[in-house]
Amino acid sequence: MVTREDVENIALLSKLFVPEEELDGLTKSMQEIIDFADAINNAPASAEGFDNINNLSNVFREDEVVPSYPVAEILKNAPEQAEDHFLVRNRE
Amino acid sequence: MGLIQTIHEKLVSRELSCTELTKAYLEQIDSANPALNAYVCVTGEEALAAAAAVDKKLAAGEELGLLEGVPMALKDNMSTKGVLTTCCSKILTGYKPIYDATVWELLKAQNAVMLGKTNMDEFAMGSSCENSCYGGAMNPFDVNHVSGGSSGGAASAVGGNLAAYGLGSDTGGSIRQPASFCGAVGLKPTYGAVSRYGLIAYASSLDQIGPITKTVEDAAVVFDAISKPDPRDSTCLGAKGGATAQQLGSDIKGMKVGIAREYLDGVRDDVKQAVLNAAKTYEALGAQIVYFDLPVLKFALPVYYIIACAEASSNLGRYDGIRYGYKTARYNGTHDMICRTRSEGFGEEVKRRILLGTYVLSAGYYDAYYKKATDLRGTIIKAFNDAFAHCDVILAPTVPMTAFEKGHAASDPIETYLTDICTVPVNIAGLPAVSVPCGFNQKGMPIGMQLIGKSFDEATILNAAYHYQQAAPENFTDTKWGVKL
Amino acid sequence: MNYELVSGFETHIELSTKTKIFCGCTTQFGGEPNSHCCPVCIGLPGTLPVLNKEVVRFAVKAGLAVHGKIAEVAKMDRKNYCYPDLAKAYQISQLYAPLIIGGYIELSNGRKIRLHHIHIEEDAGKLIHQHGDTYVDYNRGGVPLIEIVSEPDIRSIDEAKEYVEKLQQVMRWVGISDCKMQEGSMRCDVNISVRPAGSEAFGTRTEIKNMNSITNIARAMAYEYERQVDLLESGGKVIQETLRFDDASGTTSPMRSKEDAHDYRYFRDPDLVTINVPRDEVERLRAEMPELPAEKRERYEAEYGIPEKDAALLTKYRRISEYFDKAIEGVKSPKTVSNFIIGQIFRRVETEADKEIFDVAVTPERLNELVRLLDSGKIRNNLAKSTLEKMLDTGKGALDFISESDMGGVDDSALLALCQAAVAGNPKAVEDFKSGKEKAIKALVGNVMKNSRGKADAVAAEAKIKELILS
Repeated sequence: MVTREDVENIALLSKLFVPEEELDGLTKSMQEIIDFADAINNAPASAEGFDNINNLSNVFREDEVVPSYPVAEILKNAPEQAEDHFLVRNRE
Repeated sequence: MGLIQTIHEKLVSRELSCTELTKAYLEQIDSANPALNAYVCVTGEEALAAAAAVDKKLAAGEELGLLEGVPMALKDNMSTKGVLTTCCSKILTGYKPIYDATVWELLKAQNAVMLGKTNMDEFAMGSSCENSCYGGAMNPFDVNHVSGGSSGGAASAVGGNLAAYGLGSDTGGSIRQPASFCGAVGLKPTYGAVSRYGLIAYASSLDQIGPITKTVEDAAVVFDAISKPDPRDSTCLGAKGGATAQQLGSDIKGMKVGIAREYLDGVRDDVKQAVLNAAKTYEALGAQIVYFDLPVLKFALPVYYIIACAEASSNLGRYDGIRYGYKTARYNGTHDMICRTRSEGFGEEVKRRILLGTYVLSAGYYDAYYKKATDLRGTIIKAFNDAFAHCDVILAPTVPMTAFEKGHAASDPIETYLTDICTVPVNIAGLPAVSVPCGFNQKGMPIGMQLIGKSFDEATILNAAYHYQQAAPENFTDTKWGVKL
Repeated sequence: MNYELVSGFETHIELSTKTKIFCGCTTQFGGEPNSHCCPVCIGLPGTLPVLNKEVVRFAVKAGLAVHGKIAEVAKMDRKNYCYPDLAKAYQISQLYAPLIIGGYIELSNGRKIRLHHIHIEEDAGKLIHQHGDTYVDYNRGGVPLIEIVSEPDIRSIDEAKEYVEKLQQVMRWVGISDCKMQEGSMRCDVNISVRPAGSEAFGTRTEIKNMNSITNIARAMAYEYERQVDLLESGGKVIQETLRFDDASGTTSPMRSKEDAHDYRYFRDPDLVTINVPRDEVERLRAEMPELPAEKRERYEAEYGIPEKDAALLTKYRRISEYFDKAIEGVKSPKTVSNFIIGQIFRRVETEADKEIFDVAVTPERLNELVRLLDSGKIRNNLAKSTLEKMLDTGKGALDFISESDMGGVDDSALLALCQAAVAGNPKAVEDFKSGKEKAIKALVGNVMKNSRGKADAVAAEAKIKELILS
């Protein structure tokens, strides 16, 4: 049972705002999707288990330094930056 | 002969310069894109520069590789250095990557000419391309119909002859479904055959890049070019078993083509008939049809949505307005900024899937949903392995229907999800599958079928698809749009 | 009522690999902001992690150093939480299948603090809050960490301090981290609860986050112990919460607000594959492990008769013990070597930081040579001591300061003559001594030593001089 509180909680975890007026509708729609997903609980217990698609293990890189990017490149897409930092400006 | 080979020969014979060819594509994009909306970003200048370099090579009498100078397009979720890469989402407004995706690096090294970036459902979430922040790409067979999704732009561009080939990505059918809707060939490779480095993630354990092309030969050539091991992607092994293009045409007599009855359940009659006709074609070609049951398929769709949304909720957490992309204008503190940015920047479907994914991973629900779905993934993989003990390829419809009219994508999310029912199982199992046109419905909209193969056995499904293409060329018809060679 | 303190530690240690855990950027401390970054460690869309092999090796070494079990199968998980210092909004860590299981740290009182597990993970970037603005620097983002999670086995603040010191010692010893708390390369989250003495059940615990000095750990624990006891005594209840410690006031206060509601939604990271450390690799690393400080200390005591306290000093840092091991090769009395190191040499190497580096002007081979001269009876202790001072000043060898004629002792009649000469030649000092200035005798002894070129036995000389003056 998906409750309004559940939706509020997962919205907070997801860092999304859900306007009060959309909360009921979203709760209902989430419930429908979850009901649909619940079908898997009718499935037989799985004996196989799953690790990763091609059962890969031990893929590593060597500990060798690769030059970093220039700071200007790193910051190139930042909506705001100052003094070589990414910036969240909170002053008006 | 494939389109890529045709172009290659025209370039090599100097019948056409690469610049002329590229200009022709750019002109056609200019005139057709307003209707098809296949491209969301056209990189004419870069394309002409790349074309000029190819012409210079030709003038110097140097040999050309098969993909050299061939105009193509990338889906907008593949990172291209200095070129807008937005996933067709407002949240990536203005984002120009500072690095190239591996697939693009590989193609660029072969002097591919990129015409631009193609339209898609936002973050590859959707089946109509209508979840794009640029509006959907339309179907070249009838612009009142959707192109399909999520790689709708690539399918529309290829179907509309606005690119010789395109790269798409397939998480739950996003290459095969639009290819099927637009009368194109779409290959979803084995998970791990093609590098995901630079592909903006939707669901990391399901995503795979592959070609959308006019012909099976083209799909094989492009697949061969991009299926290399990549030290930057731990899950990428590259292709196994040599170039697939060289194996096209090898004998399929005695090949066992399997049909799982569950794949035909709930499929529209015209689609079912087209697929059964294709089975007859295979019989005529000397293959043997084997029917079997795959009951676990009924769990594939919920398993897919649980896993895909869970991974997406995590993959999409990083869009917070700090390092790149969209940032809200007014806010009160960092937390508020992040929430507003995400709420304004993501579309409805993306938000729905993030919330669903967060839910199935959250305390108290993890075992019942995510864990259970992952376990079932093991069961589904085993079921496919068992099936392949009895057949060489599995034949199935790509989509239970043909392209729907624009604006008619179901308003109910679950009904929309059902359109993915035939495509998602191979993503869950990590298998390769190729969609090829196998007929038309009464309104003349293309129908697609898919051939599903064993892990890393692209060669067999492409060969099977090639034989079908040779036997049923009437299903590979062209549209009125674009460049005619 | 008497209350017992119960504590467990989660200790983060930055590994000193050359590169970050998932990309080739340097882990070097400092640097201009965001200058040790690449698309991977700033989490650009489409980037993927590739695990640094050395991180696994270092973590295995850490595991072996604390007697842990190296897991057959380890996996990487995502820990999801959205915060500006975390570029991907998840930290790649390990929950379901960590690399090291179990292990322990043994304290000097004989108690073993059991470890639950050790896992590998990535560090976050750094936030600077200024006038309400937030500046983000990702240089530390992606630096490899191990997190050592102990069982709640610690029962006092002294045990806590020793636990942290021992961890720091052993991790430095095996060379996987510099464990500098002030630079943040080692930091602790302290879980703490109290219960009535004799009670078996655990009380409700609080967690003090991000402690970066042993002093503050002790202060915070003392405060938190008092706070919890007071709460319980006054009929209140301890709330399970995360606390921060304020250095200035010495108090703890709740850390999280509703905005930080946390449910980490751990799940297997689909971008990374399973880690399966081959058993022969584990055995190879085990064979390469240096003798650990605890083992070494015991051996110094048992084999060389070095007092416990001195053995602890010699094994506090690996370099010192290595120096000692070289300097004692073939000498009769390792204890003499120990005395030279802890006495004269330590006076030149005062700070802990210097002791850790232990860059001494006199090589262990030269100290060894000096002690062998002493062993053979060719020189006496006094001459050895003064020579060592000169060696420490110059870095030269003992034979640069000791001539053939210095070798061999001063016999009793020669000593008597030297003492008589000293008494006769220094009437002022003799008077001073007689009038009760005990120290005046030193000048006379010094005279004897000087005239014997350090060969005389200072203790015997002092006795002889006293005898001469007082008779």
